[in-house]
Amino acid sequence: MAAPRGWRLARQGRCWLSQAEFSAAPAPPDSLYPPIVASATAKSKAAKRRRLEHFYQRVHEAASIEEKLRLYGLLQRPKYMIYPQTFAINADRWYQSFTKTVFVPGLPPRAASEPAGAPEPGGAAAGGATGLAVPKPAGAPEPGGTAEAPQPAAEAAPEVDLGELRSLACDVLLQESFYQNKKRPFLYRDQDHTPGPFLTQLISLLAASLCRSNPLLAASSLDLNPEVNYYWHNGEEVVVHGHRKGRVDPVRFQIDDHPRLQIRVPKQLPEVVPLEADLGNVPVIDHKPSKLPLFKKQYENKVFIGSKVADPCCYGHTQFHLFPDKLKRQRFLNVNLEDQIEVTYRANGIASLFAWTAAQAMYQGFWSEADVTRPFVSQAVVTDGKYFAFFCYQLNTLALTVEAIQNNPRKNICWGTESKPLYDVVEDGDVKGFNDEILLQLVQFLLNRPKEL
Amino acid sequence: VPAGVRQALWLTKTKLVQGLPARVLSIAEEPSNLLEDQEERARRAISRARFWDTTEVAPKRENYCPVLFEELLHLCRVMTMKHPSLAKRMLARNYRIAATWERESFLLQVRGLNGILLNSMAPIPPVASRDEVAATEEHTLETFYPILPTIDLQEVTVYRELDDTGKSSSFRDGYPYCHPHTLYFLESANIRTNRFRPEQLRAKMMMFAFGNALAKAKMLYGNDPKVLEQPVVVQSVGTDGEVFQFMVFQLNTTDLVSSDGIKNLVWIDSDQPLYEKAQCVPEIKKRVVTKPAGIYGFQPDTFKKFLALYLHGTV
Repeated sequence: MAAPRGWRLARQGRCWLSQAEFSAAPAPPDSLYPPIVASATAKSKAAKRRRLEHFYQRVHEAASIEEKLRLYGLLQRPKYMIYPQTFAINADRWYQSFTKTVFVPGLPPRAASEPAGAPEPGGAAAGGATGLAVPKPAGAPEPGGTAEAPQPAAEAAPEVDLGELRSLACDVLLQESFYQNKKRPFLYRDQDHTPGPFLTQLISLLAASLCRSNPLLAASSLDLNPEVNYYWHNGEEVVVHGHRKGRVDPVRFQIDDHPRLQIRVPKQLPEVVPLEADLGNVPVIDHKPSKLPLFKKQYENKVFIGSKVADPCCYGHTQFHLFPDKLKRQRFLNVNLEDQIEVTYRANGIASLFAWTAAQAMYQGFWSEADVTRPFVSQAVVTDGKYFAFFCYQLNTLALTVEAIQNNPRKNICWGTESKPLYDVVEDGDVKGFNDEILLQLVQFLLNRPKEL
Repeated sequence: VPAGVRQALWLTKTKLVQGLPARVLSIAEEPSNLLEDQEERARRAISRARFWDTTEVAPKRENYCPVLFEELLHLCRVMTMKHPSLAKRMLARNYRIAATWERESFLLQVRGLNGILLNSMAPIPPVASRDEVAATEEHTLETFYPILPTIDLQEVTVYRELDDTGKSSSFRDGYPYCHPHTLYFLESANIRTNRFRPEQLRAKMMMFAFGNALAKAKMLYGNDPKVLEQPVVVQSVGTDGEVFQFMVFQLNTTDLVSSDGIKNLVWIDSDQPLYEKAQCVPEIKKRVVTKPAGIYGFQPDTFKKFLALYLHGTV
């Protein structure tokens, strides 16, 4: 392919070997001779150290974020590919050890200013219902029989009408599974037939309805089938075979994730716990990562949150993941692996959210040698169409390389729930056993916003 | 097909009015219907679709066309803040339609996967007044003698005249969002010859809008051909990622056998560019940047019309 005129052919490969790069060290004013430093090209530990320092300096001084990302992922070597949606046994513990994550069951307690939308009898609304108008559902059916009186919080936050949203969710579910006549699903593509469109439609409508209560959603960006990538080093190993046999190399990982839906916002979500909090232990796995099983491949080292650096919506809010047919519950039950069902949800939540939050942090200029100064928080909902599990992740540290991890007491934290069904069954145009708690949790996730909004 | 829209007009017994109806245009201009910094948001939507959505340098049309459409639709949906009844809408993707009608001894049928359909609980009120409807009686349809009006149509032996928004095509009975509101067509093929040209796209939009309206009318008023008391209105938007075609179709009559009498009405606003050019990489000639990266020729009116068509019926 002819290079266009006017472009200098960029020098590929290890540019740092040229002497011109290294001769920029200025002499201190009181000395006649240049400073004595290690060689840059010798086959010695000091030279290797100097080359590494020079690389760190180059990344620190990069002119723009794109340049920084390009230099960070410049050198390509075989790396382990981590798949967030995997059927590997106990994958969540392995992923926790790769990403230095503590898993805390249950969700973090919300701040008191959130609207407590639990459906209680409407007696308490007497004093609290100020001039905010309540959109009464016009004839919407109430299958559960619970009164959905909106609960205004102490600071009169805008109410959320749970009954309206419940009828909306039921309508979407019925349309996708019952009313719209579709052809039979393609072989092993059941998830694209009904749960996929259901999730897309439900979240778009919920996000639109909740714009009034959460102005952050009004400025948000909704991605359908985006791509999220992250590349990092963690730990050390000896190269086993090849022309580099015997050298000590960092273990490289790459996550290439494809969530179903993603909401990105221009302002960051507030931190859940302080940066240095310690909520548990990170599991330690004594085996090589390839025993999980994980496989190595060499390709482009991508770091991507769903859109390029120039996008103003550079912080993440919520991701939505849908399991493919390979990870259906019935398959696990057939081979007597019921306990691994929850493991798949956890592994998906931890890996996807780590990749997303870490990529967001890199977009702000942080990397493993320049650790984050504020925690990055994102949320995720993992589902297989009927069962929903909720995760919240706080990234406290990016420094996972061998050098940086020695003096780093911080750990990343992931909160997560077990998977619970949203409904029991859909038959004859009716949704039976609709679970309000799941919908409430979904709504609370979508209403999450920084304190000042 | 050389005479795309003209042929469709004859086949559906319709009179063409250039430009969108006055009511839709007034919704577009109404200041309370605008989002805050709407122009900036529309620009951002275009940038996202054309520049930022991919790890490559520039996304292909089959990526950026649906992304642009989803972004614009997301912006329209944010208007639910101001108009709560907008929540009573449901999108149906991969939607199939079948409608049959007779037209001067030709039995015609519209079938298949059309675009994305937006349904709503409440129908759109008729756009043209009764006088305008009655005035179409004097209008004569344009024929293309000696070319048969059914030129370039596929002749098929039909065993079952399918005719519904009901049984085997689209939606079952009791569906709450039973009124078709707008049809969206995305011409997103990468190769230009696989895409419909604007004239054919308009003809396709009209045929499918007519098919939906006819099926709805037959469901509401029965299969007998007659003039409708309450005309059925279906809108349609077609795009290839840069240029938009807007259409509002009003079905006044299901009596389509003869070419006289009340005709249907269609308002078409064609070839509205949303932007002229989206430059992904700066154009450099002789080591000097002649055209920096960005969007050129942004037309805010096109998005206003898109939003107006979305809001039509609830405002």
